[in-house]
Amino acid sequence: MASPMHQFEIQQVLPLPTVNIPGLGAIDLSINNSVMAMMLAATLVVAFFAVATAKAAVVPGRMQVIGEGVFSYIDDLVAGIIGPEGRKFFPFVFTLFLFILAMNVLGLFLVFTATSQLAVTASLAVMTMLLVIGYGVLRNGANMYKLFVPAGIPWYMLILVTPIEIISFVLRPVTLALRLFGNMLGGHVALKVFAGFVVSLGAMAAGGGLGLLGIPGAALSLGGVVALTALEFLVAFLQAFVFAVLACVYLNDVVNLGHHH
Amino acid sequence: MAAETTSPPPADLRDGHTAADAQGAAQGHGSAGTTEAAAHGGESGGLPQFRFEYWGGQIVWLFLIFAVLYVLLAKVFVPKLRRIRDERASTIAAAVAQARSVQAEAESHAAAAQAEIAEARNRSRRVAADAKAKAATDLALSQKAEDARLQAQMDEAEARIRGLRDQAMTNVRGIAVETSQAIVQKLTGQKMTTAEVDAAMTAQGAA
Repeated sequence: MASPMHQFEIQQVLPLPTVNIPGLGAIDLSINNSVMAMMLAATLVVAFFAVATAKAAVVPGRMQVIGEGVFSYIDDLVAGIIGPEGRKFFPFVFTLFLFILAMNVLGLFLVFTATSQLAVTASLAVMTMLLVIGYGVLRNGANMYKLFVPAGIPWYMLILVTPIEIISFVLRPVTLALRLFGNMLGGHVALKVFAGFVVSLGAMAAGGGLGLLGIPGAALSLGGVVALTALEFLVAFLQAFVFAVLACVYLNDVVNLGHHH
Repeated sequence: MAAETTSPPPADLRDGHTAADAQGAAQGHGSAGTTEAAAHGGESGGLPQFRFEYWGGQIVWLFLIFAVLYVLLAKVFVPKLRRIRDERASTIAAAVAQARSVQAEAESHAAAAQAEIAEARNRSRRVAADAKAKAATDLALSQKAEDARLQAQMDEAEARIRGLRDQAMTNVRGIAVETSQAIVQKLTGQKMTTAEVDAAMTAQGAA
């Protein structure tokens, strides 16, 4: 049995030249299993929508109903949190949700979960926060300070509140990245550990004698794996959804700066 | 488990498990500890996620893939879906509007038919009333004419009866005169003239 951590190891699939970027150092552009998983996830999303919108009829087919269902689900989410101005962020949130969902779900079917790589979740989180900051500065200019200085609070409270707001803002990309990473990592480790119990207890039972006691344990572990797998499907969807919701919430902070609703 | 045969550490499950726990503890101390754990993870070979030589490639590829996916979704699929949804909404709105107009038309038709029925009813009522009135006047007229005819006949009959009576009364006087003459002649043997008798009767107050 391999270690439960083995599933997270990066393995090269297609070697490509290493690029040396001054200031950043050498970047190995080889295609590895993580990149493969991302590509596969993106391909699946594109393939799904290509099929769903192939006919694009007023009276939709089955796939189109699903595609439009996902579409309006995120559309309502963005419009509900950000308001009518949120429409221009819809493609970004939609992409984020679908990409994360596809990577999470693929991780349950294949051997590698791209969202269990901190590099991936951190990049997604940083990208989201860069968009938030970039758009916020572009739109609000110097008024961006209001993000950390809530209106209608006496000055002596601001001394306390402003550092807290700044810290919470700085921690946003960290929590965003770690939430998804931790959920995926923990879920897959737990699955692997329980699955390992099934095998090792089964092997013990195969030895006969007292080892036969391992059979109920193995059965219990197998039940645990089944239950955990069901739970992981829920988590796969939920974490993609949470990421999308939080991206909307953070975008809303800078889109509707100063007037909370 | 794709590359199980190539996995370098043939550690048994328990070892792997405890190693996992240790690694989990190492990185699990919240966000603050992450960077330190990450910094150490690179060389100590802890969580595979913290081997930073693989970060650059993953990040570059992630941005590339995300960009391609974003462009495809934003430029192709989202407009397509949005268009079909708008189209459906407008189709439904048009159908509803058409149904509403058809309904309004049907209602106006129904109202017209109702008015027509009411008018026809009024007309028939008027015709009936006219006929009734005409019949009544006709009846009254003919009754009057008949009444007048009957009255005339009655008057005529009455006049005839009166004439006959008068004539009878004059006859009675003549008979009385003759009778008186005959009685006087029988009793006295002398003859009375008609004029005398007549005078005597008038004197007696006979009619």
